[in-house]
Amino acid sequence: MSNALQAGGPALPVLQATGVMKSYGGVQALKGVDFSLFGGEVHALCGENGSGKSTMLKILSAQIAPDSGSLAMNGHSVAMKNPVDSLAAGIAMVTQERTLVNELSVGENVLLGPRKPRSVWGIDWRATRKKAREALDVLNCDADVDDLVQDLPPGQAQLVEIARAITDDTKVLILDEPTSSLSAHEVDSLFRAMRSLRNRGVATVFISHRTQEVFEISDRLTVLRDGRLVSTGVVADYSPTRLVSDMLGRELSAFVPPPEYQTAQGAVLTVEGMSVRGKFTDVSLGVGKGEIVGIAGLVGAGHSEVLETLFGLHQREAGRVLINGEQVALGDPPAAIKAGIGFVPGDRKIGGLVLDMSVLENAVMARTSTTARWARPRSASSVAFVEQCVEDFSIVTESLDTPVVRLSGGNQQKVLIAKWLGTNPSILLLDEPTRGVDVGAKAEIYRILLAQRDAGLSIVISSSEAPELLALCDRIIVMHAGRVAGMLHKHEADEAAIFRLAMGHE
Amino acid sequence: MLRNFVRQRFFVVLVLLAVMLVFFTLTQERFLTPENMSAVMTSSSILWVASLGLTFVMLAGGFDLSIGSMLALCGIGLGWFVNEAGLPLFVAIIFTILLGAGLGALVNGVPIGKYGLSFLVVTLGSLILFRGLTNLWSGTKTQQVISPFLDELAFGSTLGVPNPIIVMVVTFLIMLYVQKYTFFGRDVYAVGGNAEAARLSGIRTSRTLIAVYGLSAGLAAVAAVLQDARIGAASPQVGDNLVFAAAAAVLLGGTSFSGGIGGVGGTVVGVLFLGVLQNGLSVGGVESYWQQIITGVILIAAIALDLVQRRRTERSKSLRTPAAQPAVPAS
Repeated sequence: MSNALQAGGPALPVLQATGVMKSYGGVQALKGVDFSLFGGEVHALCGENGSGKSTMLKILSAQIAPDSGSLAMNGHSVAMKNPVDSLAAGIAMVTQERTLVNELSVGENVLLGPRKPRSVWGIDWRATRKKAREALDVLNCDADVDDLVQDLPPGQAQLVEIARAITDDTKVLILDEPTSSLSAHEVDSLFRAMRSLRNRGVATVFISHRTQEVFEISDRLTVLRDGRLVSTGVVADYSPTRLVSDMLGRELSAFVPPPEYQTAQGAVLTVEGMSVRGKFTDVSLGVGKGEIVGIAGLVGAGHSEVLETLFGLHQREAGRVLINGEQVALGDPPAAIKAGIGFVPGDRKIGGLVLDMSVLENAVMARTSTTARWARPRSASSVAFVEQCVEDFSIVTESLDTPVVRLSGGNQQKVLIAKWLGTNPSILLLDEPTRGVDVGAKAEIYRILLAQRDAGLSIVISSSEAPELLALCDRIIVMHAGRVAGMLHKHEADEAAIFRLAMGHE
Repeated sequence: MLRNFVRQRFFVVLVLLAVMLVFFTLTQERFLTPENMSAVMTSSSILWVASLGLTFVMLAGGFDLSIGSMLALCGIGLGWFVNEAGLPLFVAIIFTILLGAGLGALVNGVPIGKYGLSFLVVTLGSLILFRGLTNLWSGTKTQQVISPFLDELAFGSTLGVPNPIIVMVVTFLIMLYVQKYTFFGRDVYAVGGNAEAARLSGIRTSRTLIAVYGLSAGLAAVAAVLQDARIGAASPQVGDNLVFAAAAAVLLGGTSFSGGIGGVGGTVVGVLFLGVLQNGLSVGGVESYWQQIITGVILIAAIALDLVQRRRTERSKSLRTPAAQPAVPAS
């Protein structure tokens, strides 16, 4: 395992954070966390969604400034104001977002910007290629430096990102969920690269949601929960059970085996063996009348994509969908709407609302999408419908003609839900229904959804927040890496059981 | 009500237009006469009609570079329908408009709306294509189009109102109605404001876009009828600068390049602004290049002003809701 440190290790950590605090608005993301990283180790930063992991990484790489606390390198206090300072100090960060230029070659991406070698004639392309090749060799990456980045598989592209981030002077490498978009085979080559860097004395800190990976690659790990440090130590001191209980803050209940999938009796919606290439595989589920089914999963597990596919946004490569026992095609949104499906997308500003248009127009946009286009939109029934929604859902707005951009996040979300209830769907799909919504609005949205369920609506909710699913759902399907990992009934579901399945525990 | 009017994006240009009217009235004796005001309007009629169509394209988040070529092509078409095919003028006009709308929908609308090609590339291609077709069809020759009705359309008047002004007002009112009181008009705003949200709402956004490019070309065809009527001939050389003037008018009128914001009400203010500026300066004997310089400066200034104003409102909004962003910080 670790070659640089065992019992004691070198005296000084290459990077040390002390008493780091950070709050966003009213939410305190980090409440005084200590963290130390030694040269030549791979260090996993573990925690649930919202535990403060990403915030910690951003502070270590000087993307954001802590409210209080200090950073030190090799025992000397450092003041890094921005990522440029931190790069100069030898700290490299690879974020979750891809930052490669697809249209340029691998070699040019590795040395993007002013780092390309120059000769009197300008850029020295021969030396550039050579230097890029060397950087990729360090990571055991065999991508051709002349290939375009857009032709690379995700795993290779990830290695090119890392090759670009590190230089000869890199002492610390920070990776934010480097494996989330990689296949098992690609994860192996990433880990080979991480080991090779470890042997060169680079300290790597990374986030992963997959327990198995944490145990496979790391030397030490640190667990955060609710912005506080829970524990830190060498991996040998941890078992998977201890790791999960540290992350959750309590012991896990006995493992509940996932019950066999059964089509619900009289199911309104039945999905059988549905697959979408590159998104998810062999997903089956059934939703009865007046039932709320949740789909849980960590980022990238495919739960959002299941809903999007049911609304006709992705091409199915296998499986069938039945509504009230009849097979439906669901090729595009109009077909899905016609089949009685409503869809509240995960990001209301992208797929949900036209922000510059009024409350009224947004609220009726879906229910009138099949009306003749030369008809007048502001019909009495439309106005009456929206007025009713504003009253029933207590939407706070100056008038029906106010642009939705002027409403608060919670009220925007209520308009979005009203828009889809207005189509009189028999099935309502909601992706992250309370994202970016304050606590009060959250409770009201729950109340609206539960009332609709009681009125006989079948609802499917995808969420990465386990408490939300526990509050709403009659059954919860948990996905891991694009597959259904298990199903929990309301009485047997708790956060730990969801979490265990979502992390891919066997 | 008044506050909302002041908030309109074309308000600044409207104030400038009023200032200009006062200034020219005070400095030029021959400016504020019924004859001259009517000349301002009628000389703007082609730009007016074409700009209304371009407004819809820009509201939908696109652009149509080909309207000038389309104007020329449809002008030649009208001449051919009248002279060669010997159609009655009324039928010839209907055919001309159908020709324009059909070509616009097919050549511009389908590639852009259905197959998602870049509107700049497609309409640049059709700009060249339509110009080529115009020259092919006309043999690059200008041909007289003689018709008492066309004469009457360009130079006659009804109940004391010049006929071109009636055409202008009628097309404007129709477009205003379509923009505000039809689902199609609202789809245009939705597609321009947030195409993804429109699509997820079940709106057939490709149809909306095809219709918008058909409409833009159809109005260019209406402008072509006015053009032929004004000069009494079908000329292949017209319309070269139409798209620039129309884009300036639409932008001055507060319709944004990014789509979803603005409308035809602002566009007519923009057209009148350009028309009054040109007329006032030429009545005053100022060289025409001054008109270009002033138009250019005001266009950039008006848009910069608008941006400053929007940044300010955005900032005050973000100050009001500091905790809005990461309610749950990503881990």
